[in-house]
Amino acid sequence: MPLLKFAVSIFVAAWFFVSVSGTSYAGSLLQDLENALMCKCDDKCGKVLVNCTCSTSDKTRAKFSKMLDSGLTVDQIIKSQVDEYGETVLSAPTKFGFNLTAWVMPFIALVAGGVGVRKVIYSWVDKKEETVTEDEPEEKTATSEKYSKRLQDELDGIEL
Amino acid sequence: MNDIGEFTLLIALATAIYGCVAYIMAARGNRIDLYLSADKTPLIVWGCVMISSICLWRAFLTNDFSLQYVWAYSNIELDTFYKFASFWGGQKGSLLFWTLLLTTYTVVVHFQNRKKNLHVVPYAMAVLLTIIIFFLCLVNFSTNPFERIPLPPEDGRGLNPLLQNYWMVIHPPTLYLGYVGFTVPFAFAVAALISKNLDDGWIRLTRKWTLISWFFLCMGNLFGASWAYVELGWGGYWAWDPVENAAFMPLLIATAFLHSVMIQEKKDMMKVWNMSLILLTFVMTIFGTFITRSGLIQSVHTFDEATLGYYFLAFLFVILFSCTALIVSRLPLLKSKNQLDSFLSRESGFLFNNLLLLGIAFATFWGTIFPIISEAVRGIKITVGPPFYNQVNVPIGLALLALVGIGPVIAWRRATLSNLKKNFYRPLAVAFITAVALFPVIPLGSRVENYTYIAFILCAFVMTCILSEFYKGTASRMGLHDESMFGALTTVTWRNKRRYGGYIVHIGVVLIFAGIAGSQAYGTHVEKHLKPGEKFEIRGYSITYEKLVAIEATSVKTRVIAQLDVKRNGSHYWTARPEKEFYKGQNQPVSEVDVLSTWREDLYMILADFRDDESATIKVYVNPMVSWMWTGGWIIAFGTMISMWPDRLEQRRRLERFRREESLFPSPAQE
Repeated sequence: MPLLKFAVSIFVAAWFFVSVSGTSYAGSLLQDLENALMCKCDDKCGKVLVNCTCSTSDKTRAKFSKMLDSGLTVDQIIKSQVDEYGETVLSAPTKFGFNLTAWVMPFIALVAGGVGVRKVIYSWVDKKEETVTEDEPEEKTATSEKYSKRLQDELDGIEL
Repeated sequence: MNDIGEFTLLIALATAIYGCVAYIMAARGNRIDLYLSADKTPLIVWGCVMISSICLWRAFLTNDFSLQYVWAYSNIELDTFYKFASFWGGQKGSLLFWTLLLTTYTVVVHFQNRKKNLHVVPYAMAVLLTIIIFFLCLVNFSTNPFERIPLPPEDGRGLNPLLQNYWMVIHPPTLYLGYVGFTVPFAFAVAALISKNLDDGWIRLTRKWTLISWFFLCMGNLFGASWAYVELGWGGYWAWDPVENAAFMPLLIATAFLHSVMIQEKKDMMKVWNMSLILLTFVMTIFGTFITRSGLIQSVHTFDEATLGYYFLAFLFVILFSCTALIVSRLPLLKSKNQLDSFLSRESGFLFNNLLLLGIAFATFWGTIFPIISEAVRGIKITVGPPFYNQVNVPIGLALLALVGIGPVIAWRRATLSNLKKNFYRPLAVAFITAVALFPVIPLGSRVENYTYIAFILCAFVMTCILSEFYKGTASRMGLHDESMFGALTTVTWRNKRRYGGYIVHIGVVLIFAGIAGSQAYGTHVEKHLKPGEKFEIRGYSITYEKLVAIEATSVKTRVIAQLDVKRNGSHYWTARPEKEFYKGQNQPVSEVDVLSTWREDLYMILADFRDDESATIKVYVNPMVSWMWTGGWIIAFGTMISMWPDRLEQRRRLERFRREESLFPSPAQE
């Protein structure tokens, strides 16, 4: 099935390209900050800034707007927040050190699962072929082949 | 009455313990007398828990603040509507509510099966009663909702204002019906393992239970999203909060289970896998409760003290350990033929569908528990929020969406190249046309926009796959019988309820994907501080702030309402009235958003702040395609109804198949 393999390869390549390319969000710089940082209110609301509606979050947004207006970049503002509150202010784990395991583990599990499923399916297909070979008479008549083909064609077309 | 409520809970516990032991002894010793005696216990336990629940409801409705729980979650001014819902507003009541639902399900199972399937039912009832015993122990000895206050206060503390929304009456019960429902297939699976009846009997017995539970869990998730959208006031509906994740994970695993049992039913394969999936689904429902009740993971859903985590953790480990041991001990009996005709078949599609669903479930689980792992390893409890889940789960979700289209179209047993060409020619053509048509119109560049582009193409592909299945069935019926198109479509769907009901569910899923994609990528918002009479524009809407009105709604609640006039194309379009509600004794006011929802987009207004000079800060979101998600939800509900509808024709077909199989494979005695 070269055509199928080609189609799957294209899909996987496109998937990978989209996953790694581009910035995260389509919105403004403030929105990028709101998505990247947690609200640090006294109530410990546990919300990402973009999701929070408390008065502290409003003040934080106003502060970030001023910081952006003063010429600071998003990364600089994030760094200043990490310096002030520690790593817990980030809404997602960083992509280095131990935190990297958070990001890679799901994909490792998925790839390992994919390899496992592929192996299982092939082993089941092999088992079936072995059974069929053992059961079948050595010489197939032209008639039985004709009917087998017809049956297969019918099965292709119908829903069991 | 409170004494009665407390006492009946104790009676229920004692009866459940007796029933559990009697069922096991009856099954093991083949003692009909014990079985008949145990047979009465589910009804007694249900009756006792129901009486207890009525007592608690009565206490809420009559403002009986001598109960600590009623004092903590109600007050005199609270609407009767919310007094009714306050029952499950806190930990104590929600556990009693869980017990009530579980005992109700158990009674229904009892009446459905009391005179049949006796080789499995006693064990299933024993499992159900064991789980009931766990919950009854909690409500009796750890979180008793009938705990008294020595000197009853005159008024209660009141229900959390965020919970005073009509969804409070709908969302938690729906979610609980889903959570609790999975106990039934789990109990039958364990019973099948214990009694060594490991054919697909337990799957057939519990198929409807699985579907109903899946349906409620699915609706519970959607209702929760809808509640968050209208109540939390940040313009979104899903925040990947640990408690949201806890409801999402069992849904994913149950979906995998629903698909993989079809292979067991058709080909008698994957017995171990299906056992493991239903075990995992049930474990995840308990894990969700553990997260909510432990306080280990920070959540926006923590409306209450969380003290029961370790009980649930212990229960979780006992279930995991005992069920794993049971499955391992029955492995020789769970062996099946496990043969496939071809790699390229619908069976393989189901396996990959399971892989992707479990992949998303694992990623979500990993993200949920990673803060605990991080704290244990590094001493820092980091946050794992939406950016993580979106980046990890969206690509897997898109692959899953592609499979939603591929799965139903690919042939069972063996797909050939000609079969693939024939079935995928149209969907691929539509996908290609969609890709070309959308390319110049929609923005691309950011990751979200690129994903959305792919999602729309896949939605077109999947929708064409599904509709072509309907078309094929309808066209062949029209060819064979002289029927109108509508008549043929109805007959085809009605005669294959399970198959076409499933396709309708898939249409709902496609709409949900499209809604999520559209609202995530193309939404916009603006925040303005305005004086009365000032106006601003957003996406073609001209919005004028008119006035601010304050209303003393009740003695404990004040409403401040902003009135805004919305014009579109120069003419009046809508009058928006977002508001803030202030509750006596609460630090933070609650935003009540105002939303105008259309098929194209939602205009979502929030009163963010106001001052004494009547100036106000207004936040406006334009969220495209949000209503597609809710529509998708209703379509899923419709599809599930069709799938679940009793099908005499299918029952007859199944009976005939069994008869054929019996004559084909005579029992050893007959030989």
